[in-house]
This record gives sequence, C-alpha cells and structure tokens, in this order.
Amino acid sequence: MNSVWSSMRRTPYQTFASFSVLFFTLLLSGLLFISLTFLQSLLQYVETRPRIIVYFQITTSEEDIFAVRDKLVETEKTNDVTYVSKEDAYKIYKDFTQNDPLLLEMTSPDILPASLEIDAKQPEYLEEIVNFVRKQPGVDEVQFQKDIVDNLLHLTARVRVTTAVFFTYLLFMSIIVLTTTTSFKVALKKDEISLLSLLGATKRFIRKPFMNEIVTLGLVSSVFANLILVLLLLSMNPFLSGYFAGIHSLNMAFFNFNLQIWPFNLTYALLTIGVTTVFSLLITFISSFWATNRYL
Amino acid sequence: MISFKDVSVKYPLGNIALHNINFTLEAGTFSYLVGPSGAGKTTILRLILGELLPSSGTVKVDSFQIGNKKFKDTAKLRQVIGVVFQDFKILAEKNIFENIAVGMYIKGFNKAHIQQEVIEALEVVGLPQKAHLFPAQLSAGELQRVAIARAIVGNRKIILADEPTGNLDPKTTWEIMKIFKNLEKEKTILFATHNTDIVNSMKRRVLVISDGQITKDKKKGGYEL
Repeated sequence: MNSVWSSMRRTPYQTFASFSVLFFTLLLSGLLFISLTFLQSLLQYVETRPRIIVYFQITTSEEDIFAVRDKLVETEKTNDVTYVSKEDAYKIYKDFTQNDPLLLEMTSPDILPASLEIDAKQPEYLEEIVNFVRKQPGVDEVQFQKDIVDNLLHLTARVRVTTAVFFTYLLFMSIIVLTTTTSFKVALKKDEISLLSLLGATKRFIRKPFMNEIVTLGLVSSVFANLILVLLLLSMNPFLSGYFAGIHSLNMAFFNFNLQIWPFNLTYALLTIGVTTVFSLLITFISSFWATNRYL
Repeated sequence: MISFKDVSVKYPLGNIALHNINFTLEAGTFSYLVGPSGAGKTTILRLILGELLPSSGTVKVDSFQIGNKKFKDTAKLRQVIGVVFQDFKILAEKNIFENIAVGMYIKGFNKAHIQQEVIEALEVVGLPQKAHLFPAQLSAGELQRVAIARAIVGNRKIILADEPTGNLDPKTTWEIMKIFKNLEKEKTILFATHNTDIVNSMKRRVLVISDGQITKDKKKGGYEL
C-alpha cells in the first residue's frame, strides 16, 4: 500500500488524469445502468398490466361473454383473461368515487358494462387480439394501451443501444487513457524493469506494482462514483415517489433473480455498486496489462 | 556449472556473433573472459542469462539446458545467477537494503530470512552500516559493493560480472577484487574484463575470445589477446 501511495505522489498529474477518467467513466456507467434497469422494469410493469379491456354492450349476456373468453383462451396468445361483471364494475366505480357520493347516487350496476381484461403473452399479439375481439358479437368498445407499450418498447430499445454504444466508447476511451498514463509510469521505470528481469523476476512480479496502483485507483474512483450515484438516487427519491405514486413496485428479472428496482433498496444499490466496481476492475486490469506488456 | 557445447550464434542478417564455442566452467571456480570489444563476450553472457538463444549447440547453466528452441524457464534460470554490471544498475529510489533484497523478494524468501541474509551480505562486502542509506549517498566503489551483495544473496550459484571494475579507480578495483576472491569458493564466477592488471595479478583460468571464437583457454593464464 505504501509503494502504491508513494508512486501516486511521485506522478500526481498522471494519477489525477487516471482518476478523473475512471471517475467519470464509472459515474456515467452507473447512470446508464440505473436508467436501463429502471426503464426495463417499467416496461415489464406495463407488460404485466391488463392491456386490452373489452367492454360489452349492456344487453350482452354472461354466456356470450364467456364464449368470447373461451375463444380467447383457445388462441393461446393470452396469459390471463379476467371477467369483470357489472357488479364488479360497480364496486370498482364505488371505490373510485367514494369521495363524491353524488356521482355514485346517479349510477347503478345496470348501466355499467361488463368487460374482459386481457393480458397478452407478447406485446406483439396485442393488435391481433384486438382485431379478433372487435369481430365478436356483443362487443361495444375495445381499449388497449398500444401507444404506451410501443413507446416504452421503442424507448427501451433506444436506451439499450445507447447504453451499449456508450459502454463501448467509455470502455475504449478509458482503456486508452489509462494505458497511456500507465505506460508513462512504466517507461519511467524501464531500467528497474530490465534489472528485475535480469534478476529472474517473472512477468507477474514485474506487473504487480503497476497493477496494484491502477486497480487501487480504480477502486477509489469507484467509491467516489458510487457515492455520487447513491446521493443522486436519494435526492431523486421524493420526485420519483410522487411521479410513480400509483405504482407499488418495479421489478425486473436479473438472471434467475427477481430484482426490485423501485422503491430504491439496499440490494439494488449494492448491485449498482457491484456493477461499477466490476467495470472499474475490468478497465484497470486490461489497461495495466497492456501498458506493462510493452516492456516485458 | 556452465557449459557451452558447439554453440554458434548467427544474427538474422547473417553476421556470425559466435562460432562453435565449447567450454565448461565447473561449480565453485573463477574464470576470466577477455577479448577486444565486439569479440563476443557480451553475447556469451547474454546466452548464459537466456537473453539470447543459440542458433545451434547447447548452453547448460546449472540444471537448465538452453537450445535453439523457445526457452520457457528464463525467470527460473536467472534466479540462480547474480549479475554485476559496469554501471552498477542500482535503483536510485530504493535504499541499499532494498536494493540488495530485491533479488530475494523475487525468489519469494520470507522477511526474516531476507533481513538476515542482506545483513550478512553487507558484512561480506564491507558495508555493514550503510543499509538505510540511498545510492546517491554512496561512492562508486560502494555502489559496486552493493551490486555484488545483490548478486550473492538468495542462493545464487553463479555470478556473471560484466566489466565490474570498469568505472572504478585502481584502489577501489583491488578492494572489489578482494571480495570476488573471497567468493570464488562458494560461487561459479565468470568475470568479463579488459583490465590487464587484474588478470595478470590474480591468476585464474582465462578464456580469450576473438571474432566470436575461443582462441585461448589457459588454467592460470595472463592477459594476452
């Protein structure tokens, strides 16, 4: 540790340059990771909501509605088809208008339509299902959130591409800058490297102090970047709480693990820290390996 | 033990650096390697260190055999060899203790062992009080003693000395030679030099190299080219 610190002190400008690049790279990577996971979880949330609601005419019988439901289930393109009777609709309406008794007085279950809430297996099936139910007898109106899903799909795809491009760019830029700054340090010690080599030092032994230094710098940068990220998440919490008031939680599948993204929690924070730390280790390991490889 | 058997070195452009070199240096012996500049002395030292591979023939150093095919054990080979250079090659940023200990760190000795052996080596080269000084605080002669101390610690069986007295005044040169004389029973020493006085005064085996060939090999020879 002492040798790492003294080497950093001897080349303060190169150390600062390396730190700055690593810090901004890790901060941006962390932000991109958060944005991507947040959007992905939002998309998953929207996808799990009933996306098609089929309202039937008041006169349509339950048997006819069940027949439509059975046909939908037979298509095997739905995850779930829920029947909402007139009474259920009235209950929902009652809950919704509990602060406005006048509105409730004017309504009775008879005037509310029964409906089917359909959850499609894939967003791509939405349109097909809508066209199918529109042709069914007794159907009054069909609502589905095509625009929202399409926009979210589009946005997530864009963020994925942007993240991939940015990640590649950041990785490339950081490795180039760190390789260059480490190369300066290695060049300053080329006599020592040559002597160590003559005394029988292995490549690993010679690389070790350079790698220790740059990896330490990576970990320090990662701590600073994560500190900023955590502060950012905490400061955004009140705004996001208001914005997503109706959403209880946002989750996404992360490998075989169901990760809760919103509300922000310790597991998610630790995962973000882990991702940026692994990213920093990857950058520093590759760049120090390349920089030392030139002289070995 | 160092042994050269039918060793030739030919550079890619065709010039021959060494031609059919044969000699054996038994363990615990002191030998001089003399010859004019460009005769092939450094090439021989580089072959022993595994820096260079022979185009043909075999170099045997301790238990290592170096042929013309890729040699993978360079680091291990060099761990049995101590090297003393004309320009000392002492690391300016490290103190004397660290400079001597560096070869032992490479070999993975524990701290207590390093401490003990470095102190002993400093005694051998006559610098027992200088362990915590830095190279800038030492004279040229003292720096060469440090280089010798570095070459003998950590069970290094062979010492290659490449013009180790080239930068030293006559008095210091003899002090350094005295140290080498004390070491010759324990180590195999190959001493490359241009210094006629040393070779003629301290009579040992002399290998004379000229135009890439061993032209003389005398058991107790003098300096004659």
